Amino acid sequence: MNYLEGLKSYLRLDSAVRDDFLRELRGHLEDKIRELRESGVSEEEAKEIATEFLGSPRLLARQIYEVYSQGSWRETLFAVLPHFLTASLFALRWWSNPLWLAIIIVGVIGVVIYGWCHGKPTWLFSWLAYLLIPVVIAGVLLLYLPGGWVWVATLVYVPLAIVILVIVAKQILKIDWLFVSLMLLPVPIVVGWVMVLSMNISFFGTDIMYEAASWIALSFAVLALAVATFIRVRQRWIKVGALLICAIMVLTVVALVSNNALSIWVWLFLSLLALAHLFVPAFLERKMRGKVVSES
Amino acid sequence: MNYGRELLKGSTDSLLLCLINSQPMYGYQIIKELEVKSNGYFQFKEGTLYPALHRLEKNGLIKGKWQKLPSGQERRYYYITEKGQGALNERLAIWRGFSEAIDLVMLPSA
Repeated sequence: MNYLEGLKSYLRLDSAVRDDFLRELRGHLEDKIRELRESGVSEEEAKEIATEFLGSPRLLARQIYEVYSQGSWRETLFAVLPHFLTASLFALRWWSNPLWLAIIIVGVIGVVIYGWCHGKPTWLFSWLAYLLIPVVIAGVLLLYLPGGWVWVATLVYVPLAIVILVIVAKQILKIDWLFVSLMLLPVPIVVGWVMVLSMNISFFGTDIMYEAASWIALSFAVLALAVATFIRVRQRWIKVGALLICAIMVLTVVALVSNNALSIWVWLFLSLLALAHLFVPAFLERKMRGKVVSES
Repeated sequence: MNYGRELLKGSTDSLLLCLINSQPMYGYQIIKELEVKSNGYFQFKEGTLYPALHRLEKNGLIKGKWQKLPSGQERRYYYITEKGQGALNERLAIWRGFSEAIDLVMLPSA
């Protein structure tokens, strides 16, 4: 594996920018090697010296990532919009209005299709989450089917949900695993709230929903704040931190509102889900990139 | 940290803008030109040049464009933009004031 292949495996950039950058460095290495060859250095030695002068590919990849990783304020606004819309849906008690729900669902689908067809910008991934949430909710609803139907539905539903998730995540993993985590961030939060509400009442009854609505709105406001931080900071470790802190904060709010309604096993599951949304994409990307490098 | 390295780090963008303002250049050419113009004083770490160039481009101060060399190979030439020229003029004015003040304090006899 040569220097540029190694560098490519570390780069997490838009494919057009990445290819342009690699082409530019290839030109630089050609010039440097030619100059060294003209001064009497052997081909092998010249290649070695030229790449040494460029420095560690990992460091170079990090530096170039930090150039492109900060989104503009406009992108930030676009990325936080779905979370703010959801927060206002609960804060204003509009969730039971079919008209608002229909407008929001059609709007989300439209925005996602537009973003997917226009180069998958960073803001798209926080919208994408809302298309996946019905998948999660449908899974939780399965628990309320009568008797043996739960097992039949689960056998059909679980593989289907996994296939949908894997197809979407695989596409995004080609860009950056952090975007998969960004996309999945609302999942542990929504699952947490669905579990709290379903333990307290008959599913989605209005009373507890009205009581919890302000807290749910707060959760989505925290989510919006975390996404804004994610888009605006350059450093990867702060992006990871923003997602992790958001999940911890919201699950803490869920715990406070739940009044000990959830068992320790449910909390363990929610905590693992919050950790998994961050670390499973990282692990999968590592495996995918390793596979691509070994095949090349 | 090395004082010279710190000074260079703070002046990198200004040096790059100044060189590109004199004529459009590509990365390797910039490194060579900087070395020649500074009598070998500035020896850029090659790996740090490209993130700096891309940062300037992202901020709209320069613009990259692929062009063919007489040899037929392509290189990405950087051109200064109007915004870049404005930023350079501002930096030059600040630098003149700053270096005069430094000289007055640190080299009073000169």
